[in-house]
Amino acid sequence: MIISSTKPRKHCNLIVCRGCDLVVSKRALPSGVRAVCPQCHTPLYDRPYCAMNGVLALCITSILLYIPSMLFPVLEIHFLGSIRSSTVFQGAMAVWHQGYWVVGLGVLLGAVIAPAVLLGSIMAQMIIIQTGWYRTKFGRDTLNGLLRYHSFINQMSMLEIYVISFLVTSFQLSDFADVYFGLGTLCFTLLFVVTLFLQREYNLEHMWGYVSESDD
Amino acid sequence: MSVNQTTKARGVDIGVFRCQVCGQLNDQHDEYCVRCSSAISPRNYRSLQNSWALLITAAILLVPANIYPITTLTKSGIVTHETIFSGILRLVHADLVPIAIIVFTASILVPWLKVLGLAFYLSAISFNIPISRQKLMAGFHIIEWIGRWSMLDLFVISLSVALVSMGQLLDAQPAPAATAFALVIFFTQLAAKTLDTRLLWDQLDKNDDTP
Repeated sequence: MIISSTKPRKHCNLIVCRGCDLVVSKRALPSGVRAVCPQCHTPLYDRPYCAMNGVLALCITSILLYIPSMLFPVLEIHFLGSIRSSTVFQGAMAVWHQGYWVVGLGVLLGAVIAPAVLLGSIMAQMIIIQTGWYRTKFGRDTLNGLLRYHSFINQMSMLEIYVISFLVTSFQLSDFADVYFGLGTLCFTLLFVVTLFLQREYNLEHMWGYVSESDD
Repeated sequence: MSVNQTTKARGVDIGVFRCQVCGQLNDQHDEYCVRCSSAISPRNYRSLQNSWALLITAAILLVPANIYPITTLTKSGIVTHETIFSGILRLVHADLVPIAIIVFTASILVPWLKVLGLAFYLSAISFNIPISRQKLMAGFHIIEWIGRWSMLDLFVISLSVALVSMGQLLDAQPAPAATAFALVIFFTQLAAKTLDTRLLWDQLDKNDDTP
């Protein structure tokens, strides 16, 4: 970028709403408060920084929890002496093998792939930022690519819905069989809670700041 | 907290374009964002048509999703086909009313509200219908947020199918409506995501709540 050396600072106290294109002047916020657009109530910005170490810690915890929550069965039923259990992945594959691959793919994306990609992406961003690689061209381009798809992947990840879904399933099946929760259920629920805090702590706008900082 | 606005000016009025990818403000002469190098366009007019197309597809798929069975249940040799609605009725009869309410919200209320709400929203832009834009936008935010919850039913089906497979004794299998339902969720989410909401606010100020 040749022209960009002075530009990022030019409109630094202005903000334009994503939802309605209204120009709003930016001002300091008390902590824990989110500014919304006065016209259309789309969130504009919240605190201007995020605790990098906190994000890193939560991210590592989530990755550690992700492994057992995918390996261990989330639900187990006992029916007339036979025991059946299912992991998240087996659930997706069960519908896939019945010929409903659209449904299987949806489950796989929402509960297995998207959370993994999300955690991997945040981890990679953290490594790039903490090691200072974002100052090199390769690091900057990688960070740019990761941030570009961040909100999409964030929306695809549906851990919270999956947690509710094994509650609903357990009630539905308790009609005919005894339902038991396993170690996978605990890990998956913890994964959901930790990821929720991770998403709260993570600040996309702050991350974009590193991309423009490397310009100067 | 609502920030006090200084002007009633839009970004295009003062020659500042917001990058829709990274949020960087760019001058109107820039073709590519100075921060993330993606193409800048002041408005995405094509998004309205894309959104309509996706929404109509979703609305058509909503019909098979509701009239065809979504699961096939075999219990002691007797095969029953369950649609979304009859599944909820079975839950009510089994005295699981709270669960029935959750399932009803996720698989009937949310998809229908989403399709009808988006249709209303898009017609307000296309035909310039004088409705309060604040209320439309509030509805849009709710649709965007709540839309993913329809996936609940599919997750439940996948877990049930994996767990309940004991041949003639007790067996659950997905049925055609499951695919249709998955596609409804996919297309409505995409329709809401594609739409450039700034198009609504570009209409004349006559529909405003506040003067």
